[in-house]
Amino acid sequence: MNPSKKSFIKRKFGGDAGWGYIFIAVALVVFALFTAYPVASAFIISFQDYKPLGSTFIGLDNYTETFKDALFWRSIRTTIVYTILTVPVALLLSFAVAILILPLKKWMQTTFKAVYYLPAVASGVALSVVWLWIFDPMESGIFNKLIGLFGIGNQNWLGSSSTAMFSLVFMAWLSSHGTSIIIYLAALLGIDTSYYEAADLDGASFLQKLRYIVIPCLKPTTLFLLVTGVIGSFQVFQNAYLMTGGGPDNATTMVGLLIFNNAFKYFEFGKAAAQSLVLAAFIAIVALLQFKFFGKEVEY
Amino acid sequence: MKTKSRVLASVLALGLSVTTLAACSSNNGDNGGASNAGGNANAGGASGAKDTITALLPPVSPTYQDNFEQMAKDFNAANPNLTLKIEPASWEDMTQKLDTQVNAGSPPDIAFIGSDGISKYVQQGMLMDIKDAATSDMIADYDPAPMEYMKNGDGIYGFPAYMEAHALGGNKEFLEKAGIDYKSVQKNGWTYDEFREAIKKGVVKEGDKTSRYGFVFATAGVASKDYLNILVKNAGMPNAFTTDNKYAYTSKNFLEVLKDIRQLIDDGSMPKELSSVDAGKRWNMFLTGQTMITGKGLATFENSANKNNEKIDANDGSAVKGSIKADYIVLPVPSFLGQPAVTTVAVDGYVTFRGKKEPTAEHKANVVKAAYFLASGKVAATTNNDLFVAHITKTGRTAAESMTVNRNPDNVAAVSTLLSHAAPARPDIPVELGAKAIKLEDEVMIPKLQALLAGELKPEDMYDALKKAAIDAFGEDGVVKD
Repeated sequence: MNPSKKSFIKRKFGGDAGWGYIFIAVALVVFALFTAYPVASAFIISFQDYKPLGSTFIGLDNYTETFKDALFWRSIRTTIVYTILTVPVALLLSFAVAILILPLKKWMQTTFKAVYYLPAVASGVALSVVWLWIFDPMESGIFNKLIGLFGIGNQNWLGSSSTAMFSLVFMAWLSSHGTSIIIYLAALLGIDTSYYEAADLDGASFLQKLRYIVIPCLKPTTLFLLVTGVIGSFQVFQNAYLMTGGGPDNATTMVGLLIFNNAFKYFEFGKAAAQSLVLAAFIAIVALLQFKFFGKEVEY
Repeated sequence: MKTKSRVLASVLALGLSVTTLAACSSNNGDNGGASNAGGNANAGGASGAKDTITALLPPVSPTYQDNFEQMAKDFNAANPNLTLKIEPASWEDMTQKLDTQVNAGSPPDIAFIGSDGISKYVQQGMLMDIKDAATSDMIADYDPAPMEYMKNGDGIYGFPAYMEAHALGGNKEFLEKAGIDYKSVQKNGWTYDEFREAIKKGVVKEGDKTSRYGFVFATAGVASKDYLNILVKNAGMPNAFTTDNKYAYTSKNFLEVLKDIRQLIDDGSMPKELSSVDAGKRWNMFLTGQTMITGKGLATFENSANKNNEKIDANDGSAVKGSIKADYIVLPVPSFLGQPAVTTVAVDGYVTFRGKKEPTAEHKANVVKAAYFLASGKVAATTNNDLFVAHITKTGRTAAESMTVNRNPDNVAAVSTLLSHAAPARPDIPVELGAKAIKLEDEVMIPKLQALLAGELKPEDMYDALKKAAIDAFGEDGVVKD
């Protein structure tokens, strides 16, 4: 072998570099098997009429059908509405709770973190059963009991298109902020205390400290949570599937649910794969726009 | 020291990778059960060679899964060269588990599913046609009507376990209080107008509030498609397609049924929140005396009601909270517009699948033996008695003679009457047409029905929307125009 080539290989893969490759091998193998391979498969399937015993290549038909499908666009609109209504409020709530937890003693912080994280550990199906009870359309429902105190009659929370979306949004507002709270709390603890000391010397109020120190310092965290929140919200599936089934009159049919139905109800895997990739492209564009508009003033 | 820790870390990393891959590979092995079995039979060739038949089975009846070990033993005793490997699944997991295995190309040899799922898997090419492997004795054991449901085109894709009538269920005491001659209704049926007047009498009000409805049907969740499907069968549309394969729900009769559905809610006989009432909720309403009649009613509900009555008598805390004693009465679905009554039936059974490899004749014969074992004789008799459903095999009826079942004889007779005019199977409907109809049902009919029930859509608007979507799907000439 050419000595210069040999030394290049040694430089790139020998010594510490070689050990580095060995250490990342596990993550790489897992990524390749469970992320890269399924994505590549989905890309190929999106051009096929998929059948387990032999698929046929149909070109762009699945994409053409997707773009012509009125329900697909309606589900995209529904998902956007859901995202706009849930993500900002969820961020605000997480931020507020993290601020409230911050001054507490360490053991109390830990307790609250555990309490808020608990829904993330609990089964989504079990949580949905509880929410179904809360939204029970008859008098026995918790919400109907509550509004009954004010003389308001029973509401068909999940069965009426005027309240079904609100019900899912409300559910999102009140559940699973644990991860965001922990991330916000970690970021808050990372702010140098000298900033607060300087602000105290200048006689800054709590709100001024929040506005001029906390919020700017948390911008990278907020951007991260916003981007991941929007991505998660676009992929939302479980709540609509378990709570409303997409109804009534497709008022809560999110795009994730539509893709699931195409794949597992109608076995149209090609169309489902095409819709997934269109959704992925849409999410990527939204994420890029978020970085473009909100990432300008972020210092990492 | 540095090198040692690096080596140790590498060994751990490799160990983790190997474990991950091993998990994948063992999973593949499990999924490939059916094709492996086929492979074994392939290799064995001669009849009598060892073979394993895999079956994915849900809790068909309350005690069904408790008997798996005994079933496997009995099958092995009758067929010493064959092993029946049963994989239990919950009803919730069943479809997803099966669909995943089917789409991976390695389904079980046998799965217990509804016959309405057959066309979906035929379209995938993953069902095993057993018409050449099933003996004439086996076929002759079954009542012809349920057997037809296991067919698609020319193929036979398994054996039926039961044919269950989808009916209504009434509370005997409330029916009597409302002056409804339920025994006559069981024998002679009732028209929509008679039914409407009857359920009005069942409504009990306390001031402005309704404490008991005349009729509550589950329309949310998995039950969402049942309500309309059951009613339209009695309005001259026994199937979504006419005998000349035109889409039937564009008929004017369909619109009249939609109007009647709305009318029952507007009368106050059914709750205005009906669109959110799921199967569990309406059964709770029945047992707690909040409705006189419920739907859909299955024969096994009599068993559930009886068990709850026993718990109430025994002061058992596990009785449904707030429940009252209720004698369950099987009632027919009313007929509409002078059309004959047609009973919706659920024919579930043991459907036979194939893997990516073409199964050998020997393996096919072995799968048929296993499916027949599960769907006839003692196993079928025990399961059907547990479910309170009628026996559909000669061997099942014989085996059931020595078993006692505590059923209301009026209900037994009523179910028998209902089954006498069961909706016939339609194996002639091409799978592509069937798939389009299912999609139309899921994407247009059910969502619009939910809006109709919630009072957000007029019957005419729902009918127009469905008609438009049907014409888009089947063409102007592919739908009924009357």
